[in-house]
Amino acid sequence: MNDATPVRRRTTVRKNEISADRMNDEKTQSQYQPYKDAAWGFVNHWYPALFTEELPEQAVEGIQIAGIPILLRRAAGKLYAIKDQCVHRGVRLSAKPMCFNDTSIACWYHGFNFDLETGVLNNIVGNPDSKLIGKTGVTTYPVQEVAGMIFVFVREDDFPDEDVPPLSHDLPVRFPDSSETYPHPLWPAAPSILDENAVALGLHRTGQTNWRIACENGFDNAHILVHADNAIVHAMDWVLPLGIVPASDDAITLIEEEDGPKGQMQWLFTDRWTPILENKDLGLKIENLKGRFYRTSVVLPGVLMVENWPEEHVVQYEWYVPITDDMYEYWEVMVRICNTPEERKKFQYRFDNLYMPLAIRGFNDCDLYAREAMEEFYADGTGWDNEQLVETDISPVTWRKLASRHARGIAKPGKGVTNATKTSSIRMRRLAQGKAPGYKVEKIENVNSY
Amino acid sequence: MLTPTKATITFSDGVEHDVPVDPGQSVLDAALAAEAPVLFQCGTGSCGSCLAHLEEGEADHREGVSSSLLPSERAQGYRLLCLTEPKGPCRFSVGYDSAAGAGRPIEGKCFVNAVERIASDVVRLELELAEGCWMDFRPGQFIQLKVPGTEVFRSYSMATTVADLPRIELLIRILPGGVMSEWLTTQAKVDDVIDVSGPFGQFFLKEKVRAPHVMIAGGTGLAPMMAMIDALRAAPGRKPKVILSFGCQTPEALFNLDQIELRSHWMASLDARISVDRGEPASGVRLGNPVSALTAEDGLTADSVAYLCGPPGMIEAARKHLEALGLSPENIFAEQFVASS
Repeated sequence: MNDATPVRRRTTVRKNEISADRMNDEKTQSQYQPYKDAAWGFVNHWYPALFTEELPEQAVEGIQIAGIPILLRRAAGKLYAIKDQCVHRGVRLSAKPMCFNDTSIACWYHGFNFDLETGVLNNIVGNPDSKLIGKTGVTTYPVQEVAGMIFVFVREDDFPDEDVPPLSHDLPVRFPDSSETYPHPLWPAAPSILDENAVALGLHRTGQTNWRIACENGFDNAHILVHADNAIVHAMDWVLPLGIVPASDDAITLIEEEDGPKGQMQWLFTDRWTPILENKDLGLKIENLKGRFYRTSVVLPGVLMVENWPEEHVVQYEWYVPITDDMYEYWEVMVRICNTPEERKKFQYRFDNLYMPLAIRGFNDCDLYAREAMEEFYADGTGWDNEQLVETDISPVTWRKLASRHARGIAKPGKGVTNATKTSSIRMRRLAQGKAPGYKVEKIENVNSY
Repeated sequence: MLTPTKATITFSDGVEHDVPVDPGQSVLDAALAAEAPVLFQCGTGSCGSCLAHLEEGEADHREGVSSSLLPSERAQGYRLLCLTEPKGPCRFSVGYDSAAGAGRPIEGKCFVNAVERIASDVVRLELELAEGCWMDFRPGQFIQLKVPGTEVFRSYSMATTVADLPRIELLIRILPGGVMSEWLTTQAKVDDVIDVSGPFGQFFLKEKVRAPHVMIAGGTGLAPMMAMIDALRAAPGRKPKVILSFGCQTPEALFNLDQIELRSHWMASLDARISVDRGEPASGVRLGNPVSALTAEDGLTADSVAYLCGPPGMIEAARKHLEALGLSPENIFAEQFVASS
């Protein structure tokens, strides 16, 4: 090294000091450091990618999960998922799908042709004798389809096939299998999307918030205050407390069985939690009459289950699938077992005409804007150090620690992928055209016009 | 039937590799087959990574194959090895040394971020690589620091991984009269600049081993184990079982217990055992040496791997003990920590 060169420090952001008398003091925070590092999500987990109806035969769609571009294709009845980024120059294959047979897909730019099953580069359209053929390829992702939903195992490039866990390890606990471990005397056993004849109805949409902010909202038992004025609560005359506070040291049970999902169960509407129905000093009292008992639990990689919601025999699942560090795909799905076409039709009708407008929209729309209201405080990382937590936050803090222990991997910050460079001119132009950054790849529809 | 010919590749550090090349085979394919450390990327004549200069003999690009090499460059004797087929014995030179790309040691500067006494005879030294300085290394390797104000170098294993760069953490044993110890305890302060070189060493984590891992650390021999545990935790796939046995002579000499506890929390497959030779251990700390903390009940198998780091006596004892427990000698890796005077 030339001695004349001045030695300079790198320009780095110094972390804020954390006061030791806070509930989440430095020692607690360090226990969930891996969670704080997971701005781009957890990887090596199963995530919902699309509804079945979004991917008919011969369709190709591009999405992004945890900073990883993923292409899905259905061909000859079989589902495939591969990395949606050509090894050659990084083009997203899904932007202009080019398929010459049912077992491969070509990059539309220079014709690199990839086997859908193995990801191997097996041809180059205009260079079929290239020496590169067979020597490189893209990562493939295991896929599984249940109850009208397509799940993808989003993994790091070198995650071994033999270590891929079953989908059930990344889904909520099932009933009645778990009815003894997690008894629920106030309602019938919640169905699972893995049950026979399970019907999942819902939608997915993009929220402009970090996935952790979104996820923590779902099982935060103080957040129900934001729902106090929602139409469905009053139309149905539901008793929705002002808040629900922990009343014992076993208010939350960790779900940590060796061979199953990892998460936490919150014993709502038992003596371990106290619903607050009145605040005299502020002159507030819940006057509604109909009890609406429910229970929330969350498992990795961030799957919420609300049992007995919004009615008996129905369960609401939610996912907060990370897209980038400031966007997530919000999945809201209601599941019911429908053993006959009549039951199915009835559930569909009730969903379309009651729950879609008033619960999935309405009630949950309120969660979307509430999460966005929290985003800016956390966006530059300082919120994690500056938040002042309170009793009810045992829920998010327990979750953070549990997730730090059991997540199978922390996504690396997206590099060279859509929406990783926040100031790119393409992103600016799209915004100017009125298109918000989102989940799916926009396709080139007209080859002669742009 | 044509017979193989020979291509010699000379690296910039003078290292030569003789490579047998079959008829119709490219020098690149032949070099890779012979494990010569040549750089390459596309293998199709476009990227230019495998550029070499023909020094002797006759060898040209395959007939009719185009490349990104300019005609003028080719006329000067440059070749892309992926397209080059020798017509007889020939010699190439490449513009990089034989260690290129493989964690080659660098020399640079770093800043002191923190100096902290964490046990009766241990200092935690946190460094940060200066602007323009970077290194690639494997968990378990060490660096050398030039003790400021002297011409003396000292070697220390890194307790952190490449994921923590530019931050590097060292756990340094304080020795009465030691040159580094003297500097650390009397002069070192935040923002001091130190000359650093590295990485060095063959003691590092072997990747993708699924069998149980045993790590036995005496004193500051804990440093490379911290790095290896963090690397195992971050690696994709199911985590292997890891038993960390860390020991010091007295309870006052123990350190990093909170860091070990955090790792145990973050990695369910980590089983940490803490020992002291004498004194009155706190609860959860055993009396004895870290070697004897491993027993037949741990069910270690011949394919289990072991990493040992500490004083020579501990390593010797650990080797014997682990072999008696069924470990295969070639799966036991050790780094001796010997005090410099």
